[in-house]
Amino acid sequence: MLDTYNNMIQVAGSKKRLLQNGIVLAIVGSILQGIAFALLFPFFINLFAGNSQWQLYGWVMVVLIVIDAGLRWWESNYGYESQMEVANEVRIKLGEKLRNMPLEYLQSRQTGDLNVVLSGNVNDVVLIMGGMYSIVLHTIIVPITTVVITLFIDWRLAIALGVLFPIGVPLYKRMRQVAARENRVSAVAHAAVTSNLIEYAQGLAVLRASRQVGAQSVRLQDSLADLRAKQTKSADLNVLPSISMSSIVQIGILLVTALGVYLALGGTLEIAVLFATLAIAVRFAEPLSIFANMATMFDFMEAAIERINELMSVEPLPVQQPAQRLTEFDIQFEDVEFTYAPENEGEDGELVLRDISFHLPEKSLTALVGESGGGKTTITKLISRYADPQKGAIKIGGVDIRALEQKELMPHISVVFQDVYLFDDSIRNNIRMAKQDATDAEVEAAAEAANCHEFITRLPDGYDTTVGEIGGSLSGGERQRISIARAILNDAPIVLLDEPTSALDTESEVAVQRAIDRLVENKTVVVIAHRLSTVVAADQILVLEDGRIVERGGHDELLVENGRYAAMWAAQQQVRRWKVVS
Amino acid sequence: MTAGQAEEKELTLWQIIAPVKRQIYLGMAMSATSGIAWVIALILLRPIVSEMMTAEPDVTTLLRLGGFILLAIVIAIFLRIYSFNWSHRGAFELEEKLRTQLTTHLAKVPLGYVVSTGSGTLKKILMDDVRSLHAFVADSTPLMARAYSLPVITIVFMFIVDWRMALISLAVFPVGFVATRVAFRDYAVARAEADAANERMNRTIIEYVQGMQVVRTFDDGSSSFHRYREALTDATKTVRKWTDGTKHGAFVAQTLFAALPTMAIVLMAGGFLVSNGTLDLPTLLLFLFIAPTLPDSIIPMIFLSVLVNMASAGAKRIGYLLGQPILPEPASPQTPQNGSVRFENVTFTYANRTDPALENVSIEMPEGSITALVGLSGAGKSTVARLIPRFWDVDAGTVYVGDVDVRNLNSDDLMRHISFVFQIPFLLTDTIRENIRLGKPDATDAEVEAAARASQAHDFIVNELPNGYDTKAGDRGTRLSGGQRQRITIARAILQNSPIVVLDEATAFADPENEAKIHAGIANLTAGKTLIVVAHRLSTIQDADQIVVFDKGRVVEQGKHDALVASEGIYANLWHKYNEARSWGLRRHSQQVETGD
Repeated sequence: MLDTYNNMIQVAGSKKRLLQNGIVLAIVGSILQGIAFALLFPFFINLFAGNSQWQLYGWVMVVLIVIDAGLRWWESNYGYESQMEVANEVRIKLGEKLRNMPLEYLQSRQTGDLNVVLSGNVNDVVLIMGGMYSIVLHTIIVPITTVVITLFIDWRLAIALGVLFPIGVPLYKRMRQVAARENRVSAVAHAAVTSNLIEYAQGLAVLRASRQVGAQSVRLQDSLADLRAKQTKSADLNVLPSISMSSIVQIGILLVTALGVYLALGGTLEIAVLFATLAIAVRFAEPLSIFANMATMFDFMEAAIERINELMSVEPLPVQQPAQRLTEFDIQFEDVEFTYAPENEGEDGELVLRDISFHLPEKSLTALVGESGGGKTTITKLISRYADPQKGAIKIGGVDIRALEQKELMPHISVVFQDVYLFDDSIRNNIRMAKQDATDAEVEAAAEAANCHEFITRLPDGYDTTVGEIGGSLSGGERQRISIARAILNDAPIVLLDEPTSALDTESEVAVQRAIDRLVENKTVVVIAHRLSTVVAADQILVLEDGRIVERGGHDELLVENGRYAAMWAAQQQVRRWKVVS
Repeated sequence: MTAGQAEEKELTLWQIIAPVKRQIYLGMAMSATSGIAWVIALILLRPIVSEMMTAEPDVTTLLRLGGFILLAIVIAIFLRIYSFNWSHRGAFELEEKLRTQLTTHLAKVPLGYVVSTGSGTLKKILMDDVRSLHAFVADSTPLMARAYSLPVITIVFMFIVDWRMALISLAVFPVGFVATRVAFRDYAVARAEADAANERMNRTIIEYVQGMQVVRTFDDGSSSFHRYREALTDATKTVRKWTDGTKHGAFVAQTLFAALPTMAIVLMAGGFLVSNGTLDLPTLLLFLFIAPTLPDSIIPMIFLSVLVNMASAGAKRIGYLLGQPILPEPASPQTPQNGSVRFENVTFTYANRTDPALENVSIEMPEGSITALVGLSGAGKSTVARLIPRFWDVDAGTVYVGDVDVRNLNSDDLMRHISFVFQIPFLLTDTIRENIRLGKPDATDAEVEAAARASQAHDFIVNELPNGYDTKAGDRGTRLSGGQRQRITIARAILQNSPIVVLDEATAFADPENEAKIHAGIANLTAGKTLIVVAHRLSTIQDADQIVVFDKGRVVEQGKHDALVASEGIYANLWHKYNEARSWGLRRHSQQVETGD
């Protein structure tokens, strides 16, 4: 309970006052309600005795109820307010985190997963902030208050009331733990069904040809049956915790009644007090019986808070002080060794680069070649400080990039990927993203240089066409050229290219190639090349294998060496001559 | 009719749960009875109270009443447990049945629908939406039965006992309903606005997260952050407007529909009636016990409507998928006569498009011939490849496979008659052996290995995989490269040994060394077959028997490579562009054209 409170306060951040105010009001209101219930004792004693004072107690009760309503009105305003404000603040904080967290961490999380945290989990949490806590406080504090007052009326009944109801709580917790263990088992079965269903949808053409579809799909059917068996088992274990609270409460009422009747028969309890006790006991039954449902909500919220806090606790890569500035743009790797963070805790990460040293002079062109998994992409990632190497250093213009603020490093690097991401905004703004203060003329000049001015002007609203409107109708090559226009506008002295033309059709390819020619003029360029013919003119070719540089030099030099590069070149020349019909 | 047009069949939740309705209704009946048993237990408190008010309370009577109450409570508890069990078991059975029903249906709809919908969306329906029904089927139905039956029983009973007190017990309801009516009069409009704002916000969040990885690598994400922040502020404003409008009504409803106000009213009114002697104390107590049952049942109803809304969205998508028309199967299927493929005046338009993907296309692809399909992306070449295995039905004209209209072929037979080598190789998370055997389920191990040898996969399977042919594809630690996966699917196709092979730029993404091996595998696969290639690298298809050039859905040129180049038409232009692209190099101005083709 206290943990939950602390977590809530932590998530609420600067809006925690709103939350605390709401909580205080909910507590005060609950105490007033508890007192209102306790007034049933004097009410019945007087009514039973034919004493008209019952009216006084009745009216006091009404007044307490009205005051409580007023408090709750006040509190619900805090509730709505904190709900909105906290959601807003948490999302902004999380958004800020995303901008600053190490890229390695960002990429290790699936985007779908992050979406869930930013939209879904935030909602779960604030929903609870917006009123859930008051229901819970209410359920707990009202009975406690009444029981405390009952102590003064009749301690025996008070203890009976006080013991019987809360006894269910630990019992309930215990049973939930068992059920939770079983839920994990069925979570595994769920995952199995999920992957089988994905496989089924993806492979339907193949599966249809071999008639393994629908009820005949043995693998899928097996996993479905297995899931159902596990679900049934876990439901059997879940039935007790979810039924137990309400059952305990119902039996509790019977026991309290029995005790009251017994005491009254023995003459040690006023009948009027017995009546009031019965009325109170019956009333507490309902809220306590929905306790189980609320506990589920709380588990839900706890899980959501955990995921939010996990994201919040990711720290940006540290910047060595004093922070430096960039003036020159040669790139130097000094004995770099890099291991990816392990996917799961306790595992070893993958060692992808070892003893990598090279120097790329300013405005030179360097090609990274080699098999996939050799470390080419990792090198380009480390230049933009995707993560810090475990050993060695990466320097730009002689400055260790760990001594550069993100906003100093990033603007000096342009990256062109195979897959282009465009925002659902105007084409103009998509290009301008690279340089916020660029004039329209600058944007258009960049587009012209990137070979996309012509097709943009043919769009319905030209540069003001939003990407969403035409989304599907932009071809891969056109999207690629827009991203190159962005990079040209960015005009960064360092350009990183990841084989940007390999997925394009012939017509687009030529246009993109021309755009790249303009982008790389007078820049320090690092390109990952699969088609070796595109990098014959590179100043330096680094051949990577298994995370090491196995050969380096110009194209002609490497051919003479007759090693890995020469073999790759020969294989590609052979492939180029290949024909479907031979 | 346009292909793939769906008759939207709106399935309600109640229709979807039809397969398990027996369990569900039973669960609901038990739940309602359990609730009634509980009310009876409360009602039985009254005779106890009466007995206690007599001068000499009779212990036997009290014990007997206590026994009845105990009985009622035990019945209530047991019925609750059984109700829970029935509804949950029903829900699990429903999940299984629905998934089987959905996957069976998916196997009958046009494959094109499956492909264009994508496995991600389908997974969401088959997995998440089906799962979301659980909240409704298992949790809501018993709760619903209880929430609606309890107040009815209670009201009837109260009127039987004392109509004045019954009316008093219901006093808060008219006030509450009027107040909420007034407060929520613009509810629908405001709600729609708030929903729309929320949706905009969610879209921005998705965009922000998706774009972040890319944006971060060229600035610090400040521009997208700005957009993100604005969308959040906008959403908060709209939601605030909504809550400002509705919170009064919500508050009045919450306050009035709590137990205390009803109790206070019952107490005060009851007190006066008791004082003037027209009501006895036990009856007052009885009303105190059961009157709050009414406001208590309002809150679960609100909960329920949320749950039902959540499940309805899923039910709608499930209904939509089940409503997808199936590809009609022939009443008396014919068998393909040979390995030829023929398009006759085929016109085809994709669903949701207006311009036809293919218009009046006629192509002859004789048995054993090689046809290359060429054109810009979107020109129609991939559509031709997809219409051969009947991913969709044509709008006009006919596609013949083995001289039989594909619509007269049993779809399984058709699939077996054609091997498809897809751009993205598909492997099951099963052993390599089983993955290859998919091509011919009754193949022996020796046949599987022979196919793997022919596809150049045998060596790496035996030498590089931990358990050889018994290695599971997709297991941790077994990382198959794209080229290796491709060679396994080629082995599968070789085993399948279909007379027609459709190749869709199968080699575009492989690395050079793998590529040479894939080529060798493809050569073995296609020997003696009717081959249809969706070509991107024009150099590979120079020797094809015929090259069919597409532009905007029409066949514009057709012939052999040399003749097409000589005619200086679209193909010749593509060919020049292709050579230009191939000779490009960074910082090397295309002064020389790479030789070697």
